[in-house]
Amino acid sequence: MGDNILELRGITKSFDGKKVLDNFNLEIGRNEFITLLGPSGCGKSTTLRIIGGFVWPDEGSVLFEGEDITKLAPERRNVNTVFQKYSLFPHMNVEENIAFGLKLKKKSKAYISDKIKYALKLVNLDGYEKRNPMALSGGQQQRIAIARAIVNEPALLLLDEPLGALDLKLRHEMQNELIKLKKELGITFIYVTHDQEEALTMSDKIVVMNKGIIQQMGTSLSIYDEPQNAFVADFIGESNIFDGIMIKDRVVQIHGKQIDCVDEGFGAGEKVDVVLRPEDVEITTEDKGYYSGTVTSVLYKGAYYEIIVLAEGCEWKCQSVNAPVAGSTVGLYIMPDNIHVMHKPKSSDEEIIKE
Amino acid sequence: MKKRLPATPYLIWMIGFVICPLIAIAISAMTDKEGNITFENIFAIGDSINGQALLFSLAIAVGCTVICILLAYPTALVLRSMKFRKNGFTLFILILPMWMNFILRILAWQMILSKNGLLNLLLASIGLKPLEIANTPVALMIGMVYDFLPYMIMPVFNAISDIDEDVIDAARDLGAGKLNIFKKIILPLSIPGMLSGIVMVFVPAMTSFVIADILGGGKVQLIGNIIEQEFMKSMNWHLGSGLSISLMVMVMLGLAFTMKNDHGERDGGLW
Repeated sequence: MGDNILELRGITKSFDGKKVLDNFNLEIGRNEFITLLGPSGCGKSTTLRIIGGFVWPDEGSVLFEGEDITKLAPERRNVNTVFQKYSLFPHMNVEENIAFGLKLKKKSKAYISDKIKYALKLVNLDGYEKRNPMALSGGQQQRIAIARAIVNEPALLLLDEPLGALDLKLRHEMQNELIKLKKELGITFIYVTHDQEEALTMSDKIVVMNKGIIQQMGTSLSIYDEPQNAFVADFIGESNIFDGIMIKDRVVQIHGKQIDCVDEGFGAGEKVDVVLRPEDVEITTEDKGYYSGTVTSVLYKGAYYEIIVLAEGCEWKCQSVNAPVAGSTVGLYIMPDNIHVMHKPKSSDEEIIKE
Repeated sequence: MKKRLPATPYLIWMIGFVICPLIAIAISAMTDKEGNITFENIFAIGDSINGQALLFSLAIAVGCTVICILLAYPTALVLRSMKFRKNGFTLFILILPMWMNFILRILAWQMILSKNGLLNLLLASIGLKPLEIANTPVALMIGMVYDFLPYMIMPVFNAISDIDEDVIDAARDLGAGKLNIFKKIILPLSIPGMLSGIVMVFVPAMTSFVIADILGGGKVQLIGNIIEQEFMKSMNWHLGSGLSISLMVMVMLGLAFTMKNDHGERDGGLW
């Protein structure tokens, strides 16, 4: 089975007649930090629960280290989960919570207490052994939940939106800690989130999902810079998406104007989606732009201004460090390699997979 | 003082109908017919007849509580596993008898269990010998369990259904099978609810007398019956009061002991 620790093959799962996963295939390599990213209801949590063993797929199989574990109970898998709501045992103190899995495995007392110390140190909570977990903060509870999972030395750690309930600052802190933890432990992390920024920050590999289908898979960079379809472009970061027609290689027509781009291999006259990132739409003088339009709003966002320009009957979202005057007429220019041309999906949820 | 104003009607009620009667009973318990102070009435609970009735009441109350737990716990577990709407309806059916006057319910049991009652008619129709349950401790126990069961199911069900499904998933994730999930998660988390249930069943079972009157036919003597008789038949209010005070102190000691074992960190049921 080579480098893959886990393989999902042709997984299909329906709840109440509604397909949540449709012929889902995924290979997960050893020691990867892989993130399943998508809007709620896209099937990412179901995928995680299938890997954890809490849900059995209707069709398809789950291979762990090459072995079929599709119908193995969760308690028998070498996989541990960190739940979104922490799910600590309220009637046990921190130490008892962390020891839970080890006691069931009948480990020696000395081994367990060593492990607890090590795990608490790893999550920066040394000395919290006797605390009541319910009296700790959300961030601390989540650390305990992580400690409780990792003492069992799983080959695979599943994290189901573990930072979802934390405030922004704490979330950033925990993101960095998780990356550190991953390096220290050297195990595979499968992380589920709907937060694109979280996914881009932490993952080695991101799997963008929608409607039970993988929309795109790749590194943070490739997903952001080369979205494969309008869904990914729209979901990851902000973007302007327009209809376009490919005139020939390296020339695309948008809003009646032929513009130079760098995309090749589309058929001449093919209808396409064109994605323009707001930071790539340059505001310039009327004579220098492809289009001219009126500035309708300027919002200060801290490091930049978000500017809405009305041109060609569409709203263009732009970002700039300089603020034009609202109501003024400006030109819009896009560099050729900042234009992302994408095939139009043949159906609303067509599958596109590319590394 | 102002904050307590809305509670005034209840305070008056409580002073008039709880505190004053308690004081009256305490005074009556500690005096004899001539008005001299005596503790004889209070210690009369240790007399052979009274003591026997007390022990018998205790046995019945403990038995009733245990049976209620044994019936309520599995029911609550099943209710938990049911889909939301279904379990609401089932719970409603279980609670329904509580809305009927309890003396009516006991009278119904008398009709069922009596010598020529429904049960024996039924048995006769299928060719079995009649049972002589009426006027025995068995009849008393059936009536009590029937009466008090909802008071056990409610808090136990509340405690069990409050357990987050994710917590159980977490236990499975860490390697716990069904038995360990029950032993290490469900059981300990349901103890507060069970303690509430125990209090709500044990106390009325310990002190009741109407059920024994109706289903015991005067042949089964609980401490409650003896107290009732002192007041209503022998007209010895001093002795009745003394026994009442003793019983009350014992029940309160029992409660204090139960509550001490409940850490009081989580609210498990109706309390």
